[in-house]
Amino acid sequence: MTKDTHSMTVLEQTRAPRSETSPRRRRSPLGSRWTPYLFLAPAAVFILLFQGVPLAQEIYLSFTRTSLLNPTRSTWVGLENYAHIFGDDDFHRTLLTTLIYVVVCVVGSVGAGLLVALLLNRGFRGRGVVRALVTVPWAAPGIAVALIATWMLNPQYGIVNRFLDAVGLGVPGGAILDSQTYALPAILVTTIWQLFPLTSVVLLSALQAVPKDLTEAATMDGAGRWWTFRAVTWQVIKPTVGLLALLMTIWSIRRFELIWLMTKGGPVGSTETLVIDLYAQAFDSKQLGTAAAIGMVGVVISLIVIAGSRFVARGAAKEGIR
Amino acid sequence: MSRFRMGLTLRIVAVLGVLGIAVFPLYWMFVTALSSDADLFAGEARLLPDFSQFGVFADALAEGEVVGWLRNSLVIAAGTTLLSIGLGIPLGYALSRFSFRGKVVMTVVLLLTQMLPEALMVVPLFALFNRFDLLDSLIGLVLANSAFVLPIVALILKGAIDAIPRELEEAGRVDGARPLTMLVRINVPLIAPSIAAAAVISFFHAWNEFVFAVTFIYAPEMQPASVGIAGFIGEVGTPVQTVMAVAFLFTLPAVAFYLFAQKYVVAGMTAGAVKG
Repeated sequence: MTKDTHSMTVLEQTRAPRSETSPRRRRSPLGSRWTPYLFLAPAAVFILLFQGVPLAQEIYLSFTRTSLLNPTRSTWVGLENYAHIFGDDDFHRTLLTTLIYVVVCVVGSVGAGLLVALLLNRGFRGRGVVRALVTVPWAAPGIAVALIATWMLNPQYGIVNRFLDAVGLGVPGGAILDSQTYALPAILVTTIWQLFPLTSVVLLSALQAVPKDLTEAATMDGAGRWWTFRAVTWQVIKPTVGLLALLMTIWSIRRFELIWLMTKGGPVGSTETLVIDLYAQAFDSKQLGTAAAIGMVGVVISLIVIAGSRFVARGAAKEGIR
Repeated sequence: MSRFRMGLTLRIVAVLGVLGIAVFPLYWMFVTALSSDADLFAGEARLLPDFSQFGVFADALAEGEVVGWLRNSLVIAAGTTLLSIGLGIPLGYALSRFSFRGKVVMTVVLLLTQMLPEALMVVPLFALFNRFDLLDSLIGLVLANSAFVLPIVALILKGAIDAIPRELEEAGRVDGARPLTMLVRINVPLIAPSIAAAAVISFFHAWNEFVFAVTFIYAPEMQPASVGIAGFIGEVGTPVQTVMAVAFLFTLPAVAFYLFAQKYVVAGMTAGAVKG
């Protein structure tokens, strides 16, 4: 279609549509080579304006010292912000917390999603209803999730503490979200609860593509369930699992509201991930330059993950594993 | 036979367990809203809702600015849906049906926007909106939310249009229809389910969005429900039941909307977004 060029000028093409019987259109039914750009221009301009320009500004800000209180007066400081954050023990801790958060979220949500998908893959009466209900947490607003989680974890009246006390696993004082040890696990459980419905639905539809006769043949040959899963099912769903892991990684690096609303990164920074740190730097400490530098670290990590996953996928394809 | 039965029982228990885990927190929100103070603060938690307390929902709506919050959320979500679908359909069509210079770059850029954290974009967007007088404005939130959801909408719709055989357009082409006519007359009706899915996804996104809303809105009467409800966390003034009732009323439309369009949403997500 790129060869679909002809003598018509841009001006002619951008004009209002002509009458139905125009013979010229018959000659070039898909329009000129400018036609695709006309379709995508509005969206492209929009994305450039509200994603491209802001991103460029953030990159610039990360090399400056700028205060939120007086953003027009900024000083170019080169790599100072980056040197500062990487020399800071608190930031090392933030990186570690982010790593733990992302890895546990990915493994937890994809793992739980796979178990649920395998469970729901068997046909049974009411499966449609069960599937719809199981996926509900995904539709629940994060804000409502944070609110109910906070209430359920309330030290005095929360049902979680009452339950833990009843089974003899009670946290002393019950203040889970105020504990440097238990706050992060509590947030992780909440996040995974919110994410596993999506992964399970996506994996369920991947499981539908597993050829039934193959699994049946394997079972007939006396293969155990585990062997059948590894030899047949896993081979079919592996690309989907990989894709979900990538998606969950990037979403976990981005995730803000649940952590912010439940702990604001506390107590003593024990739940502070990159985006929480970034927001606090910008709006509590008013340090826009530092905040931008932290954000860029997050973006670079995401880019490395994406590039790495492509590399791994390509390697796997080359070896014919897939 | 008995082994089969045991396996079946186990499976039923497992399914019910998963169901319980998935639904419990939302159920608990409802039960908490419908509990008396005695139930909440006495020794034993009440596990079933007390429907005699149903008036709490009326109280919740009467509470301060709750109706206004919900209305603001609705305006933001509806605006975001219209804008992102309006821009996403032609973009998806261009990506699916034409080959042009920069197409690969465009697709990669769309995928990469998925990794930009909202928290990172808050500062520059704040500056941009400040200059154009869009702080404290629902329009500002519609623009910011649309920018974040547009790429995924476009990719879903591209996937849907990819699946339509080009031959269907041949007839139109012979009749001399222009691309825009073919898009509107032939493609849009056929991808209606995917448009519905994309619409639900962008509605969710904007209805649930928090970071931009809490940063760009100061005037109480402009707050969407997400920000209003967030104000309840850690605050002691409002009764817990009222808080939970408001949160439940906020959750209900999103969940109902989702259940209604579930089939299409899941199909759209898997066909468009995940396969990219």
